[in-house]
Amino acid sequence: MALTTFFFAVAATSVAAGTAGAILGLGGGILLVPVLALYFGVDLRYAMGASIVSVIATSSGAAAAYLRTGLSNVRIGFFLVVATVSGAITGALLAGMVPTRWLMLVLGLALAYSAFATIQQINVEVPDDVPFDWLARRFGLEGAYYDRALGRQVPYRATHVGRGFAAMFGAGILSGLLGIGSGAFKVLAMDYFMRVPMKVSTATSNFMIGITAAASAGIYFARGDIHPLIAAPVAVGVLVGAYLGTVVMATLRNTTVRKVFLPILIYLAASMLLRGLGMHLL
Amino acid sequence: MAHLLFWGGTLSILIILSGLVLYAAHGGFNDRAIELHRAASWAGQVHPREVFVSIAEVARGLEARPMRPTAVIALGLTLLLMTPVAGVVVAIAGFLADGDYRYAVIATIVFALLVVGTVMARRAG
Repeated sequence: MALTTFFFAVAATSVAAGTAGAILGLGGGILLVPVLALYFGVDLRYAMGASIVSVIATSSGAAAAYLRTGLSNVRIGFFLVVATVSGAITGALLAGMVPTRWLMLVLGLALAYSAFATIQQINVEVPDDVPFDWLARRFGLEGAYYDRALGRQVPYRATHVGRGFAAMFGAGILSGLLGIGSGAFKVLAMDYFMRVPMKVSTATSNFMIGITAAASAGIYFARGDIHPLIAAPVAVGVLVGAYLGTVVMATLRNTTVRKVFLPILIYLAASMLLRGLGMHLL
Repeated sequence: MAHLLFWGGTLSILIILSGLVLYAAHGGFNDRAIELHRAASWAGQVHPREVFVSIAEVARGLEARPMRPTAVIALGLTLLLMTPVAGVVVAIAGFLADGDYRYAVIATIVFALLVVGTVMARRAG
């Protein structure tokens, strides 16, 4: 493919990935890697390198805006990042000692269950009757944001923090073992276990994914997986997309965000189950 | 911290863009096809000229005359990849300034874990 065409096509794709990533709290890798590898024919390792760049670009672009508007919760973010990063390091240490296929099956089933659970609460705009949790109180895992779609201030407090932390540690182990991103798991832990409003969940996930990705960015760079001419259009496109995404997100309802998130969850569950059974969906 | 992430991202992109402009000025875009395939292993052989694997390599590319446009792009990408780590450092300072020592400790743990992860990656890589 001619370089110029490649450049503009990849940049345009990246704008879309960045917008979706900023709204859904994902790094965009889940969307970008298959497109780069299958459609543009980029080597999978270069595609993964570009994906790490994309995660950090989404995170920097979106988190800056979300922190300013108070949609990201810095405390919840840091609290859970401890679980994810230590999980990822544990996972890297366990690599080669654990049968990954069984893990993927377990993960696939867990994802399928959470997709089902998400369908059940698909219309919950803002969680109410949240049970009291002493960890949430002790660590100040609460906040309030102004919801433009609802036209009011929305206060919230996390619950089942222990479960959320454990789920994040597990997701971290898997991402360390399998090299998969864990943006979707972060959103799930916050939305489903900790019952934080959906938009706060995705915005906080955006803030977290950059930190988690930074932990492994060095390896990709040193391995030579980051090709400047492939990563450049991705970085520029994704950053522009992430800014756009934050603007769109402000006007969306929590339920809308969750409805867009659901198909990603189903896709992830299916692809994990299939990989666990030895089939590749990519 | 929001400021740092915003300016870190913006500055990186500006550097990447100027690298691209330089690349175009050097005729990089003239009917060139891009090599998208990557050798399975570069052990014992030279990796492609466009790819940079260390900060020292990026620095050499910037010092070369004429300056190598891909090194400018790589510099922007490196800055982008380091932005979140800088964000954590700024957050530690922010928590300390607010007197929120519990979270200053948590953010410091995150920073330490990042360092441990990077060192481990070095060993493994």
